[in-house]
Amino acid sequence: MTVKVKVWDLPLRLFHWALVLAVGFAVVTGEIGGSWADWHGRFGLIVLGLLFFRLIWGFIGSNHARFASFVPTPARIAAYLQGGWEGIGHNPLGALAVLALLGLAGLQVGTGLFANDDIAFQGPLAGLVDKPVSDKLTGLHATAFYVLAALIGLHVAAIVFYVRVKKHNLVKPMLTGTKQVPRELAVPATGHSLGRFAVAAIAAGVLVWTITDGLPDRLTKALDVQASVAGPAW
Amino acid sequence: MKSKLLLTLIIGAASAAAVAGPIEDQIRFRQSAYSFVGWNCAKIKNQVIDHPETYNKDQVVAAASAIAATANSGLGGLFGAGTDKGTGWKTTRLKSEFFQQPDDAKNAGVAFITEANALAKVAETGKIDDIKAQFGKLGEACKGCHDKFRTKE
Repeated sequence: MTVKVKVWDLPLRLFHWALVLAVGFAVVTGEIGGSWADWHGRFGLIVLGLLFFRLIWGFIGSNHARFASFVPTPARIAAYLQGGWEGIGHNPLGALAVLALLGLAGLQVGTGLFANDDIAFQGPLAGLVDKPVSDKLTGLHATAFYVLAALIGLHVAAIVFYVRVKKHNLVKPMLTGTKQVPRELAVPATGHSLGRFAVAAIAAGVLVWTITDGLPDRLTKALDVQASVAGPAW
Repeated sequence: MKSKLLLTLIIGAASAAAVAGPIEDQIRFRQSAYSFVGWNCAKIKNQVIDHPETYNKDQVVAAASAIAATANSGLGGLFGAGTDKGTGWKTTRLKSEFFQQPDDAKNAGVAFITEANALAKVAETGKIDDIKAQFGKLGEACKGCHDKFRTKE
């Protein structure tokens, strides 16, 4: 006996697909470079905002979106591997992948903020560190990309495996929000609201603005290694 | 004992200073050339893209001609065999692939010259949108070589 139940709240689904788009555009514009380098930076900031949102939503979103409900403790993973896990949200292994994806995406935008391309683009915080440090972080940004890409590949492959082999469509619930599940497991998503969504979205926006534009002058001037006084005009 | 220590220090300092040579000179000159290009690119980006209200035609023309002059100065001569290893102002990041794929290396160099010359030309017209577009093409030429022939830090 199965019933249809709401698993993923709307903000979570919007986050997921917006992240797919923003990362996709960031990759493409980053590969082209030239005039698109600035767009690469903008999409990176959108990714940063989305990650902030997800972080906040992990505390104030609906039950299945909260970190506390799916953080893969060793006990949960062991139970899952022995077939003893029951639930409708992220399973413990899936949760591990979710956290790894979020963490790596965070590393990617974090290093990007301080990166430079030695052409005509630099991240909004590149001026706060010395050039060699920025260069190192740029290298890390380029290398970590491959790890992130591999992880995204694994994520997609796992979903294909679920659809083809386990006959379990994970994509549809991420689109519609609902899943067909056994009645005894049917715990619907609750706890989200428009108000909470607004709080998380605004807080994420303010955080991104603070990092890119809103740091107090007093602080950035003290840290900005590139700040200098212009010489004469000849 | 003390004089032995002093001698060791002097020899050590002398051998550290003895890194200047044809290879190191080439690396140092090309690092200087590309840094200078970078400074001029930053000026153009600032006036044409980031703060167009500060656009000053003469300054952009000056920056674009400086880039073109550097591109046309025969930079290929600074990429002698063996210069994929060594230290100029700092350790070179040139990949040895540069010497294994001479045709691609040449194309990368020629692309820089072509786009830099086109930028100098378009800068004279004072048409900001055209300058912006050509500046993007120059950036792509830079990136083409960076991606292919420069190691990541």
